[in-house]
Amino acid sequence: MGDKPVWEQIGASFVQHYYQLFDSDRSQLGCIYIDTSCLTWEGQPFQGKGTIMEKLTSLPFTKIAHSITAQDHQPTPDSCILSMVVGQLKADDDPIMGFHQSFILKNINDSWVCTNDMFRLAIHNFG
Amino acid sequence: MECKKEIWQTCGEAFVNQYYQQFDCTNRMGLSSLYSDDACLTWEGTPYRGREAIGAKLVNLPFQRIAHAITEQDCQPTIDSCILIMVFGQLRVDDDPPMAFHQVFMLKCLNGAWACTNDVFRLGIHNIPV
Repeated sequence: MGDKPVWEQIGASFVQHYYQLFDSDRSQLGCIYIDTSCLTWEGQPFQGKGTIMEKLTSLPFTKIAHSITAQDHQPTPDSCILSMVVGQLKADDDPIMGFHQSFILKNINDSWVCTNDMFRLAIHNFG
Repeated sequence: MECKKEIWQTCGEAFVNQYYQQFDCTNRMGLSSLYSDDACLTWEGTPYRGREAIGAKLVNLPFQRIAHAITEQDCQPTIDSCILIMVFGQLRVDDDPPMAFHQVFMLKCLNGAWACTNDVFRLGIHNIPV
């Protein structure tokens, strides 16, 4: 673990924390967003912590479980971290679906927050 | 930020068009000019750092022909005035069957031009076939 670059450690730690919160109680996700955060959820934009939390807490499922297949992390020129996640999720009794999600993390007041979040189900690629 | 809303969308889309046009229709030698000096590329989980290393990776990809078809793209502005883009689509390499792919770019305005500072590419292995 000590061999990994710091942005990988932070990115991996964030990803684990995010999906753990999402799957157990997504109303707790508020702490990771800020007032200027942007979320694009299946192509729809949401701006700011309040609006984002409204969207996430109103998603129409009771149970959800994410499983991460792959994650990539990179440092950005402005000392942020870009993370891209590929995995599968299962909502309630629906069939398992693939998903893709990208995050930008920024260190504000000694805490890593999510300033950008983009989520899509992996259903768009075959026509 | 509101009055600049269209700038990041327009620039993001223009970059995506230029990137895949160069990727598909040239020998990819010019792609490195789209990246910043210290850009990061992660290609199917392997990291490359710097324009030269990235350019070499892309030029040496082992196929004769490639065609990308973009299904969806999402753009967002970032706090540091960069542009984050997520692209979904299909690609076809030589005579292989089409495959899904997923790519994320971050653009930064450097010396008056938008350059790609971050690029993450993965094939779509969980996609639901229709």
